[in-house]
Amino acid sequence: MLEALTFDFFRNALYAGLLASLICGVIGSLVVVNRVVFLAGGIAHASYGGVGLAFYFGLPVLPVTAGFSTLSAMAMAAVTLTSRERADTVIGVLWAAGMALGIILIDMTPGYNADLMSYLFGSILAVPDSDLWLMAVLCAAVLLLVALFSRGLLAMSFDADFARSRGVPVRFLHFLLMGMIALCVVMVIRVVGLILVIALLTIPPFIAERRAHSLPGMMLMAAVLSAVFCTVGLYLSYTLDLSCGATIIAVACVGFVTALAVPRRRVPEPPGGTDGPARAGHQSVEDGVA
Amino acid sequence: MDTPAIEISDMWFAYDGARVLDQVNLTLPAGDFLAVLGPNGGGKSTLLRLLLGLLKPGGGVIRVLGLPPGQAGGRIGFLPQFTEVSANFPITVLGAVQTGLVEPGLSCLRSPAKRRRERELALDALSRVGLAGHAERRLSDLSGGQRQRVFIARALVSRPELLLLDEPTASVDGRSRQELMQLLSDINHDMTIVMVSHDMSTVDGCVKSIACVNRTLHHHMDSRLTPLIFAQATGADLMAGCPVELLAHGTVPHRVVLDHGDPDCCGGRHSQDAARDDGAGEGEDGHA
Repeated sequence: MLEALTFDFFRNALYAGLLASLICGVIGSLVVVNRVVFLAGGIAHASYGGVGLAFYFGLPVLPVTAGFSTLSAMAMAAVTLTSRERADTVIGVLWAAGMALGIILIDMTPGYNADLMSYLFGSILAVPDSDLWLMAVLCAAVLLLVALFSRGLLAMSFDADFARSRGVPVRFLHFLLMGMIALCVVMVIRVVGLILVIALLTIPPFIAERRAHSLPGMMLMAAVLSAVFCTVGLYLSYTLDLSCGATIIAVACVGFVTALAVPRRRVPEPPGGTDGPARAGHQSVEDGVA
Repeated sequence: MDTPAIEISDMWFAYDGARVLDQVNLTLPAGDFLAVLGPNGGGKSTLLRLLLGLLKPGGGVIRVLGLPPGQAGGRIGFLPQFTEVSANFPITVLGAVQTGLVEPGLSCLRSPAKRRRERELALDALSRVGLAGHAERRLSDLSGGQRQRVFIARALVSRPELLLLDEPTASVDGRSRQELMQLLSDINHDMTIVMVSHDMSTVDGCVKSIACVNRTLHHHMDSRLTPLIFAQATGADLMAGCPVELLAHGTVPHRVVLDHGDPDCCGGRHSQDAARDDGAGEGEDGHA
């Protein structure tokens, strides 16, 4: 590992992995607790349409893809808000349509032999410094936004109806969340690929969800876990000469299974309250009233 | 306290052109404990969402604590229908209760003093529902009945004047249900309560008046269950059959049903029981 770190490309790969871990830990936690994993997958796949558009019209890839993904994310957000029961179908359609659009447009682009594979698996070993900076800025922006709206996001994620009844602008926060997912997905896909994005958005937050005692705690735990998965995965892929993205995912999956097997530490029920919620309840209620 | 907690006049509401609620009139004095009964799809939850301002009425007037719905935000406590949404959510009991103090808008940053104050309020609300020792536990480690009391604490934590509860006893076992009703009865000393329920057994004892909602609303100033209430609440045709069968599925003894003067019903036995317990079948009183 230490000798590998002398290579620029490997150092950049590690930085990219760590930045992606931080972003995915925060956004992935929101994705998982809001149960929009399918929607995040839809955004990630549909964004390929943006890649196709950029190549076909000879436009800069990153802004076009970001714009296209944000638009498709807003469309999906609108559908989930207005007709919840139809949402998964519509997301499925957008998912496939975006992907197909991208492939057709790249087929029609003369002289470019697009590699779908690099979109799927990324090119973490070829991350330029400029992309690292972009990711760092995005990371800072996401952390700032999430911190700023943390209370509303927590209230919405926990119980949207209740949050709405308290006057929290749930609609705005929903669109904000979708926008953040879109931007993160686009940025991180460039580096680690579509499949690793989905893995990092779901596996570490899932492990963290069962153990954390707060939403920020879950985000931190998920970010640390995915940083560990990325580091170990990169190291193994280097020593065993395997594909980076796939190795990282394999490590994450081992972590996932291990986490399922290891029992969760629970805060024990307070003494005396072992089963009488009843008696305990009445006691203090009377105290409270008196 | 002189303003009625809720005033509704000639209100209607439609989903896609079909009127779910029509000609709804209600004046609920402060301090009341109203049970809203009715068949599924009869508009009970819709009525609650209208009161909260989550839905806008098609016509008519709604006043909650003297204000249009949605404007008395901080003075209303709300318990949404029990869902499994929060089953794995990473949150402590205390954290869950504190979400009841979230303010309207996007206000986000809190001073340390405010944090401490909110923590105290939340601990206070938890001891009120008898869960003081559970503050640091994960919400998902609690039993269904305990969790429901956490949500009641969340509704109480802002010290509201009006408590709106949507099916508070759904997915709660029989014993927890009784505890919950006892708790609500105590809370009712301090605030007006409106409780939507399809569970007739909750009505016994604690509530002060009953509203039957099935497209329109009938307010009964009395909390005794009558055959008329049954018919309105279940959507059954009053003449079509005896409601005792419905009631007998629960833990409530048959005798709470007043006689409805139909000797052919239930083979006569139930009506005899009922007749022995109370006088003639009334039920028209308080009927708007």
